[in-house]
Amino acid sequence: MAAVTERSNFGKIAWPVVAWIVALIFFFPIFWLVFTSFKTDADAVKPEHLFRFTPTLENYTNMTQNYDYWRFAINSVITSTFATLFALFVGVPAAYAMAFNPSRHTKDILMWMLSTKMLPAAAVLYPMTFLTKNFLGIFDTHFLVIVVLCLINLPIVIWMLFTYFKEIPKEIIEAGKMDGVNTWGEIKDILIPLAWGGIASTALLTFIFCWNEAYWTVRLTTIDAATLSKLIEGNRAPEGLFFGRLSAVSTAAIAPIVILGWFCQKQLVQGLTFGAVK
Amino acid sequence: MSKRTLPRILQTPAVILLLIWMLVPLSMTLYFSFIRYVLNSNIRPEWTTPALSNWRGFGNYAYVLKAKDFIFAIQNSVLIVGSILIITVILGLGIAVLINRNFPGRGIVRVLLISPFFVMPAVNAVLWINMILDPVLGLQGIAVGGINNLIDGLRDFPVLGWFFNLWPTFEPISFRATQTSAYAVIMMVAWQWTPFAVLIFMTSLQSEDESQKEAATLDGASPWSQFINLTVPHLARPIAIVVMIQSIFHLSLYAEIEIVSRGNGNKNLPYLIGEFTSNNIGAASATGIFAVILANIIAIFLLRMVGKSLMD
Repeated sequence: MAAVTERSNFGKIAWPVVAWIVALIFFFPIFWLVFTSFKTDADAVKPEHLFRFTPTLENYTNMTQNYDYWRFAINSVITSTFATLFALFVGVPAAYAMAFNPSRHTKDILMWMLSTKMLPAAAVLYPMTFLTKNFLGIFDTHFLVIVVLCLINLPIVIWMLFTYFKEIPKEIIEAGKMDGVNTWGEIKDILIPLAWGGIASTALLTFIFCWNEAYWTVRLTTIDAATLSKLIEGNRAPEGLFFGRLSAVSTAAIAPIVILGWFCQKQLVQGLTFGAVK
Repeated sequence: MSKRTLPRILQTPAVILLLIWMLVPLSMTLYFSFIRYVLNSNIRPEWTTPALSNWRGFGNYAYVLKAKDFIFAIQNSVLIVGSILIITVILGLGIAVLINRNFPGRGIVRVLLISPFFVMPAVNAVLWINMILDPVLGLQGIAVGGINNLIDGLRDFPVLGWFFNLWPTFEPISFRATQTSAYAVIMMVAWQWTPFAVLIFMTSLQSEDESQKEAATLDGASPWSQFINLTVPHLARPIAIVVMIQSIFHLSLYAEIEIVSRGNGNKNLPYLIGEFTSNNIGAASATGIFAVILANIIAIFLLRMVGKSLMD
């Protein structure tokens, strides 16, 4: 008996210590990025200034001048916001119809939608460039980036909303029908208030995916509609030049999303597994 | 309006948009894969227009299959995806079990652990290849340099000096431009996606039947045998989900490969397509069709799995 208590006492201390160490190791690269962003470019690569240095904000104050940060950040905000809104605008009615009036084909349609997500983007790189550049003339416009971000996320939006809507008892919607509410009224007055939490977390997750997207936003833009992904990919410094300022602009690029992610980590699971893990 | 038509109308915009998004570019890729089509050619200027008269049949496919980078790219795709899967599942399981009990600061530990998942891929790659893995200026270079200096100092030490003279001078590893660039990609993506595995395993662990475990404890089952006989079977489905979802994301890795080595010594199929696209559109399209087939094989398994739980 004594041995058992001893072991559990040991576990009581060792367990959280190990958990904390693992968490700190995983967080360390992000910490290091933020830490380096407060060093000058010269200090950032000198071993003697690894931990001892005079912190400076100059990398942040010069960010506009060095990288034109705000231009890219504003593009990221605009494209991610509108893509998320459009995806919801198209997705909410679709998920509503599928969840409350399923037909024989609903399951197949959902599966097919998900399968579009699995098409490798690279396979249609040239056709997309060709169509948007030579045919439609919308290459490197906000409109194009918004449409593409909306479409690549639409399957996930519909799936997430579908799993949330399914949890709402049908009777509530039916009761609305009895009262003579039309479909738009059902969505606006009954569904949206009831599923508000689900819709909000779908929006957050979609926004995160849009912000971090790094294939189409890089390849279908040059300057006008270029997002933060393009800024970072275009400015990867060769052989360790500018570590300080690169760290600062990288920190500024990820900070909004990492902080947003902290708030919606729980909803993330349901969204990413399409409700397959409960 | 009948009860049936309205739901159809509501889902029509989504269906039509996705149908266009899927069919238009893909049918163009399919068409280009059967013709000779290059962007620049002084010798054969007629190949620079996508005309049906440039029909090549399966010639592009044969060309791609023989291209020296094609097999390499497939091997590399498998190496990268496979290694990431193994690392993330094992680490994910371990960490999920680790934080699936109450201890002080558990909320903060969770937040710290999940953070890498929200880092954008371009920043992830820039951060790892420069600030951490660079052989001279990154933490790796600084650490190796520090160890070498330390050993150097100990060589002059009386009595024990001969022992440290036997030690080699350590060489930092360059993670750009050789096969090691694939390891860099594996490392950074595994770092980013382990939190994803942890989140999903943890959600699943929380729904585990505690009374079963208590019964097993009363029957004298050791924690290890409980883990193997109760927890692991319970986790079979989330493991499958983690594997499938990650396969789909990682088969199309691009930004990390581009930033780490611009494809030197480390290419996957999307990267090879990107390289062909700079001139040989026919070959790029044929490679694209191969990538679509590969993705479909995996997608079928995933769709079956999520399909089962869809309607209940």
